[in-house]
Amino acid sequence: MLLFAKMPLAQWVQDIVDWMTKNWAAFFTAIQTGGQHFMDALTGIFTAVPPLLLIIALTIYAILVSGKKWGFPVITFLGLMLLWNQGLWNDLMQTTSLVIVSSVISIVIGVPLGIWMSKSDRVAKVIQPVLDFMQTMPGFVYLIPAVAFFGIGVVPGVFASLIFSLPPTVRFTNLGIRQVPTELEEAADSYGSTAWQKLYKVELPVATPSILAGVNQTIMLALSMVVIASMVGAPGLGQGVLSALQHADVGNGFVNGLGLVILAIIIDRFTEYLNVDPIQKKANKPTGKFKNWKKWVGWLTTLVLLGGTGFAAYQAQEKAKASVNIVYVEWDSEVASTNVLAEAMRDHGYNVKITPLDNAVMWQSIAQGQADASISAWLPNTHKAQYDKYHKDIDFLGPNLKGAKLGLVVPKYMKNVNSISDLNSQANKTITGIEPGAGVTAAAEKTVKGYSNLNGWKVQTSSTGAMTSALQKAYNAKKPIIITGWSPHWMFQKYDLKYLKDPKGTMGSSENITTMARKGLKQDKPKVYKVLKNFHWTKDDMEQVMLYIQSGDSPQQAADKWIKDNPKKVDAWFK
Amino acid sequence: MAKVKLEHLTKIFGKHVKQALDMMDEHASKTEILDKTGATVGVYDANLEVNEGEIFVIMGLSGSGKSTLIRLLNRLIEPTSGSIFLDGEDISKMDKKELRDVRRKKMSMVFQSFGLFPQCTVLENTEYGLEVQGMPKEERREKAEKALKNANLWAFKDQYPSQLSGGMQQRVGLARALANNPEILLMDEAFSALDPLIRRDMQDELIELQAKQGQTIIFISHDLNEALRIGDRIAIMKDGEIVQIGTGEEILTHPANDYVRAFTEDIDRSKVLTAENIMVPPITTNIENDGPNVALKKMRSEEVGGLVAVDRERHLKGFLTGENALKARESGKPLEDVLVEMVTVHKDTMLNDIVSVIYDSPAPLAVVDDDNKLVGVIIRGRVLEALADTTDMEVE
Repeated sequence: MLLFAKMPLAQWVQDIVDWMTKNWAAFFTAIQTGGQHFMDALTGIFTAVPPLLLIIALTIYAILVSGKKWGFPVITFLGLMLLWNQGLWNDLMQTTSLVIVSSVISIVIGVPLGIWMSKSDRVAKVIQPVLDFMQTMPGFVYLIPAVAFFGIGVVPGVFASLIFSLPPTVRFTNLGIRQVPTELEEAADSYGSTAWQKLYKVELPVATPSILAGVNQTIMLALSMVVIASMVGAPGLGQGVLSALQHADVGNGFVNGLGLVILAIIIDRFTEYLNVDPIQKKANKPTGKFKNWKKWVGWLTTLVLLGGTGFAAYQAQEKAKASVNIVYVEWDSEVASTNVLAEAMRDHGYNVKITPLDNAVMWQSIAQGQADASISAWLPNTHKAQYDKYHKDIDFLGPNLKGAKLGLVVPKYMKNVNSISDLNSQANKTITGIEPGAGVTAAAEKTVKGYSNLNGWKVQTSSTGAMTSALQKAYNAKKPIIITGWSPHWMFQKYDLKYLKDPKGTMGSSENITTMARKGLKQDKPKVYKVLKNFHWTKDDMEQVMLYIQSGDSPQQAADKWIKDNPKKVDAWFK
Repeated sequence: MAKVKLEHLTKIFGKHVKQALDMMDEHASKTEILDKTGATVGVYDANLEVNEGEIFVIMGLSGSGKSTLIRLLNRLIEPTSGSIFLDGEDISKMDKKELRDVRRKKMSMVFQSFGLFPQCTVLENTEYGLEVQGMPKEERREKAEKALKNANLWAFKDQYPSQLSGGMQQRVGLARALANNPEILLMDEAFSALDPLIRRDMQDELIELQAKQGQTIIFISHDLNEALRIGDRIAIMKDGEIVQIGTGEEILTHPANDYVRAFTEDIDRSKVLTAENIMVPPITTNIENDGPNVALKKMRSEEVGGLVAVDRERHLKGFLTGENALKARESGKPLEDVLVEMVTVHKDTMLNDIVSVIYDSPAPLAVVDDDNKLVGVIIRGRVLEALADTTDMEVE
């Protein structure tokens, strides 16, 4: 029992973040645009280099650093070839640049902080608990203010990775310097070193192995954050993993995960090499005529890579910058529509970037003008909460698909259940739902509260993919299951399902999927705006595309198929 | 004028320093101060003068404050009160920059566990002191080269400390100190981490070096023998206080108090020392295994004229002389038949009882325990030494 009223802690935090978002907007925007440009440039350089060339170059580096051992070069070569072969090259490069940038910033911030900590017990006392807090707070939590500050894309990803992965570098730097033997400190002092001389001639070199161990940890944590950061639009392998999770797609999840593993191994080995003790280094130094051949080979490869291909190709890419950014949610319906629209626009010469996000983040990004448009707003019921929050800052262009429906869905073999009022204790009093942020989840929660017979029921949130997996399992075993369903969806093609009647109307009536754009898109990109305004299709169209995807096509392939079969419909959008 | 002069130098560790200082004015002891205030007195009102060009040894047991004292001299530890005069200038009043200059130009330090930088080669270590002064590369390399060549280490200039033996590492530490060409060399138990043979060599080297270059050396040690070998004058510390300063001879003949007396073992030895105190480890041959050839080889390698013969359980069998071993080799007899009887004493026998028997014994005396197992031997020289008070006992 609480002896006092609940403190509005959440409200306080919200107020602080709101205040910061409002008052430091210029600062955040500067970082956001600068960071985005920088990351795009870096990734541009990486991706501009032909993959084979880069693979060979990295393999050469691996041979140079690992001396006589051939295991690491082989793993580097085969691993990268495999990823290239799996079509993950771009994702890999995106992830690499994200990890590199997070790590570099971590070192730039972390090492000085660690040094400061090691020099002052008072500073250490203050920073230690902060580090503990940073490391134990779940990484997800950092995404929330990150989105508020920096919107969507790679910058909040870097920001969140940074907070989450900074502590090891700071800790190990502090530890390394504190563990420098007293005699060495005394020796440095007794020969009259200044504090700086002592630091860079004695302390840092002695602490280097420890610092590098910390940096290595930091890089690994940054890698693990990559997946989480994808929820707010950080591009790369993480998106593959996340989307695989939402579609319960084991194979792709594994392949993308493997990409992260290979990347982690390569980075880990390269940083390990930096950590060689000087005697070993000397032993590895070639002598005589070819004394510096290693250095030369290394520098030459780098020069050829960057000079030869990087900049030229990067400039070409600069010209062809993505000119419209469409955001969507990783639901099967939205994957289908967004990919169809994007492919159709690309066919007509537009540069389209599509970014999958969490629903709430998607709405926020349009309202704050960080993304151009979305064709995934389910109105008036499903996304009521988001609509209420953001509708003032969004330009609604009208429905693109009419007659969408939400409801609680059960397999037809559950004969006794035809209406929500018929439910009493089936399926362990559980409604299998999707993402916590989804509109249908909110509707289901409302429903559970609204019907007296659902007293004691709960809505089990998970993800779209997990929900369909659960449905398949129950369906094959002929077990009762109640899910939060919506149409258009391919599951109605695949299984015999029925909507439960909703006498109280808490799940909403039939609704429309609506197109929305940021304020000002009409003036900035009238052509794009017009296409968005024209875009519409039917439930059958969408289910068609969904089925293609369900039966194994990639979203792009499925979209292309459908576009080929419906040229008239598509042309109408571009009139 | 004294090169280095300490006046009322005091270092108190911990809290309540002020209170502890007040108690010191009333001559409270170190333990009283600790009980009352919780502050530990490291150095208690030290006064001494070190003359130009002398080797001044500060010795005492561990915890006596000698390492703290030497660190006060170059202010690695800040003094609580008192003054340190170097050529008449008070170091304790200097600001950071002046102090740095003194450390760079006038004082160098050598450490017990060498204090070499592991990531630097021997050469880089040697020139460290010059490097921080900002001396140009050519010049400092020249000086480091000279110092390393003096120490016979030039061949190892590109090795790392971890690749060298302890003795070599300490020579590098010394070379590093000397490369600065300091007026004062502070040595903090510099040779304690070395094994006895190397320690002796290093002591000789140091004496030679000092004779050649004439630095003032302040040397910390806990080994009386070492102090007597190298020290022109010796200060003995106890519980942070200096209890006596003088030449080795003065300290041995006129100890200031019982502590020093006990420290230098200046007592009637013949009444307290037992066989066990003065015996040396025996050089033995196990006659159940060894034949005359092995025994002779052992004598050659150990540079002795005879061996104590024992059986497998180390029970005393007798004494084997070199001649007898040769005889046994020619005649083919087993060693057992050519042994000489040894005079034995029990390990608790008093020194003055031993004196009477040792003159009649051709071979060394064998020291045995209750069941006739050999524990050591006593040779004449040791008895004389023990009686003559040259204190060849290590005080640890």
